[in-house]
Amino acid sequence: MRITFTMEGGIAYFPGLSRPVTIDSSELLKQEASELERLVEAARFFDQPATTGPPARGAADYYQYTITVEVRGRQHTVRVTDLVEDAGLQVLLRYLRAKAKALRAAARTPPSPEHPDKPE
Amino acid sequence: MRHMMKDDPTTTVGSTVNGLARLFSQPRSRLYCILPPHMLESIAQNGTPQQRSRALQTLAIDHTLRALRVAPSSAAPATRRRPGMLMLAEGQKRRTISDARHDQNLPGSVVRAEGAPPTGDPAVDEAFDGLGATYDLFWDAYDRNSIDDEGMPMDATVHFGQDYNNAFWNGERMVFGDGDGELFNRFTISIDVMGHELTHGVTEDEAQLVYFFQPGALNESMSDVFGSLVKQYMLKQRADQADWLIGVGLFTAKVNGVALRSMKAPGTAYDDPVLGKDPQPAHMITLSIPSGTTAAYTLIQASPIMPSTLLPHGWADTLGRRRAVSGTRCCAIRD
Repeated sequence: MRITFTMEGGIAYFPGLSRPVTIDSSELLKQEASELERLVEAARFFDQPATTGPPARGAADYYQYTITVEVRGRQHTVRVTDLVEDAGLQVLLRYLRAKAKALRAAARTPPSPEHPDKPE
Repeated sequence: MRHMMKDDPTTTVGSTVNGLARLFSQPRSRLYCILPPHMLESIAQNGTPQQRSRALQTLAIDHTLRALRVAPSSAAPATRRRPGMLMLAEGQKRRTISDARHDQNLPGSVVRAEGAPPTGDPAVDEAFDGLGATYDLFWDAYDRNSIDDEGMPMDATVHFGQDYNNAFWNGERMVFGDGDGELFNRFTISIDVMGHELTHGVTEDEAQLVYFFQPGALNESMSDVFGSLVKQYMLKQRADQADWLIGVGLFTAKVNGVALRSMKAPGTAYDDPVLGKDPQPAHMITLSIPSGTTAAYTLIQASPIMPSTLLPHGWADTLGRRRAVSGTRCCAIRD
């Protein structure tokens, strides 16, 4: 399974946080990979609409997230904001944000060769 | 002078609608209008430069029109429900702070209401004080009674989400994350950020700018200027003493940067291996929007946030100095 995750918006634009992050489950430890599959399934990701509609009038500075999941020949893209109410998508978003953060942190401290997948 | 900026609240929106009409009258947009958004996005990502530009333009219109549809009153003259002058004799704050307890469901549970003593939780108490400082600027300097000038309660939620690196306005309340501790501290730490978020409410009440592209950027710009004025008023600073930075204190010590944005010296706020380099251009002519980006309002606000570039000789500068030095009551847009 391959997930592409992009964050846009927020109170400030940061080039480093706006680049898409790609997560390939084949590169994850087995336990994390199956946890990710479970999150995608629990979110009923492939049944979710492509967008959840515009947020409330006047809302500003929220993040917009674009999540694309490719698995076994299927592909689906969902765009949501911080105001998403679906509990399953909220949990998936929480994982993706944390994962993106860990991957981006590598830009500050390159992983040591002995522990390439060492979490933060 | 009072409420001068309210005399013609539809001007900006009217211009936006005219601009959209002009865009739609261009034949080249027609094809893209019938394509579904995901296809446009695909073109925007993978097409030739010309295709990309057209697709992005159409996406912009599409999003803008959707925003307009959810804001049916935006083109109609605003009817004020303001009570009589007597009721405005005294500005009364009505603040309520709620705690999301690291969940993402709003509003959370109430932890401090008007009149209650400090809780000892910095996020709660900073939010409470920040709402107060913002209220004070708008009331003392502009006779504006809260967000809607009708004494609207000021609500905020703190501890939103887990490691949430942001603050936003959901249309009704301010929402603050605690930051992840890696890049960002809690978002209540910076008083101008609180002023920024509340000003989104003021802008929505006055102008109903659609939250996309240039109107979105103007919306952001107004929030930055008034966010900074909240801080300047609290510190009793003159405009030339102010740092005109947004978000001082938000970055952790690991980040190489001083703030989210600098209105004095755009493009110099941060340069960090993880966040990248502050891309804020000082002038619209140097604006470059990254390809595929559809929500970089805070980037394209660049030019208006530099007070000396929007109107002759720095209206925000004049506004800030007047208020701080002479106490003259003045009004933003037309001064």
